[in-house]
Amino acid sequence: MLTCREMSELGSDIIEGDLRLSTRWAVFMHLKMCPRCTLYIKQLKLTAAVLQQLPLNTEAVDSAAILEKLQERDK
Amino acid sequence: MDEQELIKRLRQGDKGALETVIKLHHAFLVAMATPLVGNDLADDVAQETWLRAFAAIGKFEGRSKLRTWLARIAINEAHAMRRKTGREVSLDGWGSDTGSPIGARFNEQGAWNAPPTQWHHETPDELLTEAELYECIHKHLHKLPEDQQSVVMMRELGGLDYGEIARALNLAEGNIRVLLHRGRQRMHAMLNHFEEVGTC
Repeated sequence: MLTCREMSELGSDIIEGDLRLSTRWAVFMHLKMCPRCTLYIKQLKLTAAVLQQLPLNTEAVDSAAILEKLQERDK
Repeated sequence: MDEQELIKRLRQGDKGALETVIKLHHAFLVAMATPLVGNDLADDVAQETWLRAFAAIGKFEGRSKLRTWLARIAINEAHAMRRKTGREVSLDGWGSDTGSPIGARFNEQGAWNAPPTQWHHETPDELLTEAELYECIHKHLHKLPEDQQSVVMMRELGGLDYGEIARALNLAEGNIRVLLHRGRQRMHAMLNHFEEVGTC
């Protein structure tokens, strides 16, 4: 029987579907009876999705200046 | 403009599309290259990446996201830059597990003492459209330990697979998995705090 602490350690493997069959069954059984871990895994998945869609400092980038520099170098 | 349209215009050499793609991904490329070549050369790596990418955009088949394709080019350029300059960047100490950042939230039996609370936001769009939260995510991403930050950048933002990241950072895939998980856990803790308290 997995503990909640062990479930939290398996979090990324769970959301990526990277579990061995025996562990997958233990995780399934735990999630069936533990709403707290179900919520944690759901939120960890949402956290990963947020990072995957995160734009990075687009305002600070002077794209016209960079493009000009690239065109100079390319000549 | 969606990615397919952007790629189509890039292939036509549309200046607006070139500026758009630089705006979207330049900061990511610099951030990703920094641990590989150091601060002072990271921008050069990003510029080399753009030159290569614009020359080869006709060969981009769209099997991965554009950012992932750019990330792969940037890693190759970073390695080339290191060879050219003879620069070795020390990644000593990278990959060691700092332990669970939420260990204190469990009791001795391993059950939750302080379980996660229900969040007000349910989707990435909802989370990212709240300005203060968006700033907070950025702030905490940059506060992650360097190795975790680098792996989170490459995997989550860049879409690279574990093998590619392991080769780029000269670490074992197992280390990469642990670093990614720790980074995600810290970012989750930050989001959870924001959802509970309402401030960063």
